Amino acid sequence: MNPVVGIAAFAAVSVATAVIGFYGLRISRTTGDFYVASRTVRPWWNASAIGGEYLSAASFLGVAGLILLSGTDALWFPVGYTAGYLMLLLFVAAPLRRSGAYTIPDFTEARLDSRVVRSVTSVVVVMVGWLYIVPQLHGAALAIRITTGLPAWVGQVAVVAVVCVTVVAGGMRSITFVQAFQYWLKLTALALPILFIVFTLAGSGTPAVAAASVNPTAVAPAGLYQNISLLVALLFGTLGLPHVLVRFYTNPDGQSARRTTLIVLGLLSVFYLFPTAYGLIGRMFAPVLAQSGQADALVLLLPGQLIGGAAGDLLSALVVAGAFAAFLSTTSGLVVSLAGVISQDLFGGSVRGFRWAAVISAVVPLGIASMTGSLALAGSVGMVFAFTASTICPVLLLGIWWRGLTDAGAIAGMATGAVLCGGAMVAGAVLGADGPPSWLAQPAAWTVPAAFAVTVLVSRATRNRVPRTITRLMTRLHTPERPLVTER
Amino acid sequence: MTRVRVTAPRSITPGTTALPSARSAADSRDAAEESDAGQVFVRSLIRTQLRLGVVVAAGFLLILVAFPLMLGLVPGLAESTIVGLPFDWVLLGVGIYPVVGLSAWLFIRTAARNEARYRDLVGDK
Repeated sequence: MNPVVGIAAFAAVSVATAVIGFYGLRISRTTGDFYVASRTVRPWWNASAIGGEYLSAASFLGVAGLILLSGTDALWFPVGYTAGYLMLLLFVAAPLRRSGAYTIPDFTEARLDSRVVRSVTSVVVVMVGWLYIVPQLHGAALAIRITTGLPAWVGQVAVVAVVCVTVVAGGMRSITFVQAFQYWLKLTALALPILFIVFTLAGSGTPAVAAASVNPTAVAPAGLYQNISLLVALLFGTLGLPHVLVRFYTNPDGQSARRTTLIVLGLLSVFYLFPTAYGLIGRMFAPVLAQSGQADALVLLLPGQLIGGAAGDLLSALVVAGAFAAFLSTTSGLVVSLAGVISQDLFGGSVRGFRWAAVISAVVPLGIASMTGSLALAGSVGMVFAFTASTICPVLLLGIWWRGLTDAGAIAGMATGAVLCGGAMVAGAVLGADGPPSWLAQPAAWTVPAAFAVTVLVSRATRNRVPRTITRLMTRLHTPERPLVTER
Repeated sequence: MTRVRVTAPRSITPGTTALPSARSAADSRDAAEESDAGQVFVRSLIRTQLRLGVVVAAGFLLILVAFPLMLGLVPGLAESTIVGLPFDWVLLGVGIYPVVGLSAWLFIRTAARNEARYRDLVGDK
């Protein structure tokens, strides 16, 4: 691919991001603005921003790549990513908004009346965030290497630098505009090229190289256990993602939090049609990419391969821009939420502290990413979902719906989930390329129930520690706000 | 925090600028809700909403499981095509999203209705 195309696309996205970020700077003044945009963001903006933040490298590049490799088995990824939001809507959205907390640690502290729980939750949230940023940076490295031929670290450093500048300058308010813009950019960047490709293929009558059902690399089909375990991870993992949850506080009330989630579901459903189409067309017309080990670059390479010429270059530039929008938006969303957590716990919640915390939250994963090799993007993000589902999800779900949860139970549950799931991840990485057994590769099906069981059992055993504020808190979480009445 | 209360859009009946009195009414409702009688309503609301969530989730998961089962059990279905596209791809790659949207919409409608009923019960207008 022409290297100028890649560099120009990245520069354009960075400049647009910075401009929108600085525009936001003029209207964010107080600490509240910096953290959660003072809760006055409109549902459509907010939903676009959630979509923009959620659709990461895994969705933009990884899903299509995985579909190219393993066909219909990989279709469970986009389904799970979307259905996770349904679970979020059903069990978390409105109560979490009504809790009035800024971050997940704020929520657990208020719910369980314990500083220790707060600290443990903060550690878990920061771990999840860092784990999640790393694949974004791997994606950036891949994109820079494929499209410009520059060394991979350039992509990682560039993403971290742009994110730091926007977050430090504007906080959540400017991030909201940036994210919303980036959702629509990502959608256009996938939709336009694939429509072009479909029309070109249909018009020229190019025969398919292979049928969609032909397996280009002979990857063994995933077993029933793996599919179920993956779905458990994605369905329950979304509930606990810190950058997703912090978004719900920007809704004015519980019912609007629900409405925002409904719009998000629509936006995600539309978006995921396109990676699926890329995967299907890639299987039929460009199975070579899978054999040469470039599956994750399918979305970036397909327009150039199937169209070519100046039109191909332009469409490639658009896809590259979309990919960088994906890295930038997810990373900045995570950095904002991590900075919120770190600055409240370490720096007393000042704006200055927030800026320092933002830099810390972006630079540490940069170090991790530069030391680790990249796996399949969708797969490594799937592991983060499994980790979240085994740690934050049980505490959040039980905290919202079960009066019996205690601080001891929450800590024991988070520790169990972190040790089991983290252990499985490390063991899987050590066993490496030979392929770990499926129960280690997809641990969610047993680590999530284990974390739930430990949380419930320990809470039962320490039932005298149920906080005295429980009645007032449960009332606040579940009863509609007042005095507003927004029924119709 | 107080800043939030003032700036967030509120749909109080137009013409009434009675935030302070609305707030004291809210305080008295706090007290009512924390009484034993009020807690009966609150607990029943929580139970209803939880049951609603579980029912919608279970229904959705049933349909989700039914899709691959259908492909596996009906011979020839996975190989058939719709407008030139393989049927199993259309079902899993497109067909599931309307089910997600429909479940979400049903949930939101019913959850809002449950909350409206609760408001009527506690005499909130």
